[in-house]
Formats: sequence, structure tokens, C-alpha cells
Amino acid sequence: MIDHANDSNFESRVLNSNTPVLVDFWAQWCGPCKMLAPVLEKVAANLEGKVDIVKIDVDENPIVASTYDISSIPTLILFKDGKPVGKIVGFRPAEQIEAAINGALNK
Amino acid sequence: MYDIAVIGKGPAGVSAAINANARNKSVILFGVDSKKVLSSPSIPNYPGLPDIKGTSLVEMLCNHLEETSAVVSNKKVNAVYSMDDSFTIQAETEMFEAKSVILAAGVDFKKSIENEDTFLGMGISYCATCDAPLYKGKTVAVVGYNQESIDETKFLSEVCSKVYFIPLLKGDYQFSNNVEIVKDVPVKFDGDMKAKKLVLQNSEIAADGFFILKDSYPLTTLIPGLEVEGPHVVVNRHMETNIKGLFAAGDVTGKPYQIAKALGEGQVAALTAVEYMAKK
Repeated sequence: MIDHANDSNFESRVLNSNTPVLVDFWAQWCGPCKMLAPVLEKVAANLEGKVDIVKIDVDENPIVASTYDISSIPTLILFKDGKPVGKIVGFRPAEQIEAAINGALNK
Repeated sequence: MYDIAVIGKGPAGVSAAINANARNKSVILFGVDSKKVLSSPSIPNYPGLPDIKGTSLVEMLCNHLEETSAVVSNKKVNAVYSMDDSFTIQAETEMFEAKSVILAAGVDFKKSIENEDTFLGMGISYCATCDAPLYKGKTVAVVGYNQESIDETKFLSEVCSKVYFIPLLKGDYQFSNNVEIVKDVPVKFDGDMKAKKLVLQNSEIAADGFFILKDSYPLTTLIPGLEVEGPHVVVNRHMETNIKGLFAAGDVTGKPYQIAKALGEGQVAALTAVEYMAKK
């Protein structure tokens, strides 16, 4: 299962993480976000050890959502050493998400 | 779960459904009769049937389709999600599942507003129902092309503090006090990291978010992750797209926009889909 992060633990859970973290900005009312959930479970399993994945509910965590200017969901942002290094807006198949993560981390 | 979902009821879609059915595959086809074919007074280059009328050809295609066991739905497909081993198809409020998908949705020549594509997902949204809550208490602008955009604007006015409505349709509408109607023609979007204002012929609107509500959306909105080139899907000779299990046929794959070419591609797409399922 993918962990949930929030406004208060975002710094420790994401920004200060030693492992790159993919953050899934989502909300209960968002259909494409629900479709993305099983896809991300798969990506998490395939890239275990290489990248962590956490979810952030944008309704419950407005601070992080506005810091990163989330204007459409789902939005995926990959953080490495506390900085965003890649962003995907909208649903994508698992293959493409994995390729984007690998591409961003191997730069 | 269906074996094959066909999106589009033009010649390519009907051909794909007939051929898939001939190979004993279960098929669901989404779409309505092709307006483009229906409005052709005569089709002079269809081999063997010189000068057949568009309306007659559509009738014959429909009759042939009815002889198959393909399920036909006139629901509008909003999105196709590739779930790796299968596809989930959202058609209006219903969800359908299929092992493979053949896209035969035709081609749309409507131009988008300058920078619409650049800022999509970054201040520009095609779905009020999806993204309205992100703009709670904020200012948004709606570019409305269709009847639904009126209802969506009403919905947005309940969530947002201020809504600008730019109607690109004729009709009657009445909104609450926080909706300002701007009768002007959109030219382009401006911004930096995200869209910040909409420039119109005679004015400018600054807003936190912009909603563009129209009948047909870019292919990459319909099928997230699909590789396209302008208004066309990139395919190879087997009608395979960059998404495995997803094939395309007809006008959507590019010129020539001809019925005979669409029928042929529909057949190739169906046979490739059958082969794809056999290998799985």
C-alpha cells in the first residue's frame, strides 16, 4: 500500500528523504486519480528501493498543494534531495511513469 | 470484460467491429453515425459502388453491424485508461473494461486557442467537475463552446468566488451575481509557469484558473499517454500505437481522409488486436 503524507510531515517524509520520492497529488472526488491508484501500486512494486511513492490529498493539505502550484490533478512530482526534478500532469500508463522516473533519476 | 472496445462508428470503427466479430471476439462499439459520411451527397471513388450516397452507405454499414453480435453504445467516451493488462473506458458516467482498444474517432479540425496546449494542466482545465474544487473561493474564467458549459458555469459559480463566462455559443443563460458574462473572442493565454490571463480581442481577463468546455478534446486528453502528431495518432503499418493493446484506424491516423482507406485500416487494426490477444 502507498503511504499518505501530509502538510506537517511533508518535510521529513519527502524533502529530507534519502531516497527519491514520487508524490501523487490527488483528491477523493477526482476520477482519473482513482484510476491512477492501482497503476502507482504497480510502479511502486517495480521500482522498490529506487523510489518511494506517497500520496497527498490536496483538499486536506492545502499548504503543500499551493506551494507546488497544483492546478489540475492527478499531478505527480518526483523529488530528489528535496527538489522537484520531474512532473507529470494527468493519468499515464505504468510503463510511461517508470520511464519518466528512470529518465529523471539517470540525468 | 470485452475483448475489444472500438471508439467511433464511422467506416473504420464499423470495419474493425465486423472483422473482430468474424474472429469470434466480443466487441463493444461506442459512437454515433458518421456525420461526415452522412453529409456526402455522393461518393464517386468507392470501388464497385459508383456514386453511392453517403446516407445509403451509412445505412448499409449499420445493417451489416447489426448482423454481428457487437454491442453498440451511443455514449460519449470521455477517457480511456491503459491499466497495463486491460483498459478502462469511461463513457459519460459509466465504466467499461476491455482487453484491447481500437481508436477510430475521426479527426477534429477545430483549432485550439493559442497556448491552450502549453498550459493544459497548468491553470487550464477541460473538466469543471474534475478540477473545480481546486479553485474554491478563487476567480476562474470559462470559455464555453457547448450547452453543457452553461451548467458547468453554474456549478463553478457555487464553488468559486467569481466566474467570468465567455460564451462561444448562442443560447439563453442566467447565472448568479458572481458570474460576469464577457462577449468577446479569445485570442491567447499568457502566463509563466501557469496560465495567468486570457487575452481577448477587446479585453483581458486575469484569473486563477481557466476552463475550456467543448465537445471534443485533444486525443491526449481522451487517451492520456498517447503519442500524437498534430491531430493524428502515430501508428505503424499494423495500426499499433505507442500504448500496447491500443490500435487506431481511419481519419484519426492521418491522410488521405477516404472511406476505402478507413475500412482497410479498421480491418488491419482488428486483426492486429486479435493477434495481440492471442500472444497474451
